[in-house]
Amino acid sequence: MNIGRIWAVTIRHLYLFIHSLDRLTDMVYWPIMDIILWGFTTQYVQQRNVSLPHVALAILTALVFWQVVWRANYEISVNLLEEMWNANLVNMFSTPLKPLEWVSAVMLIGLLKMLITLGVGVGAVWFLYSLNIFTIGWLFLPCIALLMASGWFMGFLGSSFIIIGGTRVQTIAWTMGFLFAPFSAVFYPVSVLPVWAQMISRVLPTTYVFESMRTVLATGAIP
Amino acid sequence: MSRDVVLSVHDLTKTYTGKKPFVAVDHISFSMHEGEILGLLGPNGAGKTTTIQMLLSTLKPTSGTITYFGKDFYTHRSETLQHVAFASTYIQLPHRLTILENLNVYGMLYNLSPAERKHRIQKFLTFFGVWDQRNKQMSDLSAGQKTRVMLAKAFLAHPRIALLDEPTASLDPDIAHEVRTFVLEQRREYNVSMLFTSHNMDEVTEVCDRVMFLQHGKIVADDTPDNLARSISTATVQLMVGDGMKRTIEYAKKHKLAHTIENRVMNISLDEQHIAELLSGLAKVGVEYTQISINKPSLETYFLYLAKQGRVVKKENT
Repeated sequence: MNIGRIWAVTIRHLYLFIHSLDRLTDMVYWPIMDIILWGFTTQYVQQRNVSLPHVALAILTALVFWQVVWRANYEISVNLLEEMWNANLVNMFSTPLKPLEWVSAVMLIGLLKMLITLGVGVGAVWFLYSLNIFTIGWLFLPCIALLMASGWFMGFLGSSFIIIGGTRVQTIAWTMGFLFAPFSAVFYPVSVLPVWAQMISRVLPTTYVFESMRTVLATGAIP
Repeated sequence: MSRDVVLSVHDLTKTYTGKKPFVAVDHISFSMHEGEILGLLGPNGAGKTTTIQMLLSTLKPTSGTITYFGKDFYTHRSETLQHVAFASTYIQLPHRLTILENLNVYGMLYNLSPAERKHRIQKFLTFFGVWDQRNKQMSDLSAGQKTRVMLAKAFLAHPRIALLDEPTASLDPDIAHEVRTFVLEQRREYNVSMLFTSHNMDEVTEVCDRVMFLQHGKIVADDTPDNLARSISTATVQLMVGDGMKRTIEYAKKHKLAHTIENRVMNISLDEQHIAELLSGLAKVGVEYTQISINKPSLETYFLYLAKQGRVVKKENT
């Protein structure tokens, strides 16, 4: 592994980020829009139903956490697509660049962008609703790490299909993450799912993150 | 003095599997020497691009071996590609990045230091006359400018081998000339070996030391451009007949010479050695011509001859 080459690929995507308004929109605009829509919705629900404690914080934390999964997944597959759209893949891999270095670079870009999205998301929740996502304490860090790893897994799974099927199946880049969302119990507990869906849910690491987050917010105890 | 072999290909094959398996490259073997410019020619679908992709490791061969600088390519891929460059008209650089950003990224991929990158980027962009455009995004450049940036990218790391896939396709003649000059200069200055594909036969004759013809994935000819052209002895004599068109036709028929007529211009195809005999024969029967041109066999003639043969073989096989 050569750090210089990993940084070269990272820089290549960061340059794109500077020139591309849509990539900036993906990273900042949509998360903020989600937070605004869901935040006011949950505040409304909470005001009407006192038997749902911490519902706003739980949903907003889930929303920010889901952005971590989404961003990690999205960066892997869209950065692959970016090279395909630019007909640059052959160029890249006709250099000494190793596949593992490319993979490391897109993971690094995902991490950098996730940190920005996370910062924006946590800040927006605090600014708009005076809620603190760090309420879950030190559990925040392993949760983020697990969510990142899950997002990367989804990204690589989607990318494998894209490599096989080409840009004809590029929609996988946007849909793969959401395939896991209903089973990950992002906004609701696993118990509300039908039994067959619960079985799928239990094999997904993301489920345990969202369930733990709700338990901590509801009881204050770390599961 | 014999030059070192820098690239050696042995029994290279690529078969695409599927409902109708297709052999794109069929057991080809060849080698390229230091400082040599080797032309890889063939009609569309002959297997040129597939071969180049395997030489870059972007496509896995079905069988066969590729050896660069005496080392197996697939076990020394990364260190080999440090010395192998690639440029193609059909491959692009990220269009939303500027020229400078793109070359900076590629300089980093070849482990050039910041000072080397700065120096070489300026040198190549200045040579190609695009230094003033350096902060323009690729999408804002003309096809010719993009090709020149692509060549600058390829030669940035001072490669020992360059694989150039139709580097002058769709370029204006003056830009294509500039590219050929650059290619020859790189060879002269740095002894770079090059594999060069092109559909322009005059260009191949000008640039390449040796030419390989690929047809249906196989190498069907491998020699210098001059020798290949000489192997086709048919020349075409074009006569603008002033007086005696009928006698000229009779002469051609009598001597069984293939001919065509268009607006008092007669084209006669014959063996190069019999041109003098034809002209004296026509003079004897009193034919007067106001203009004459002799098209000697060229690499293009050879290419057309092989392509025609290939179509016949394919037809027979089907």
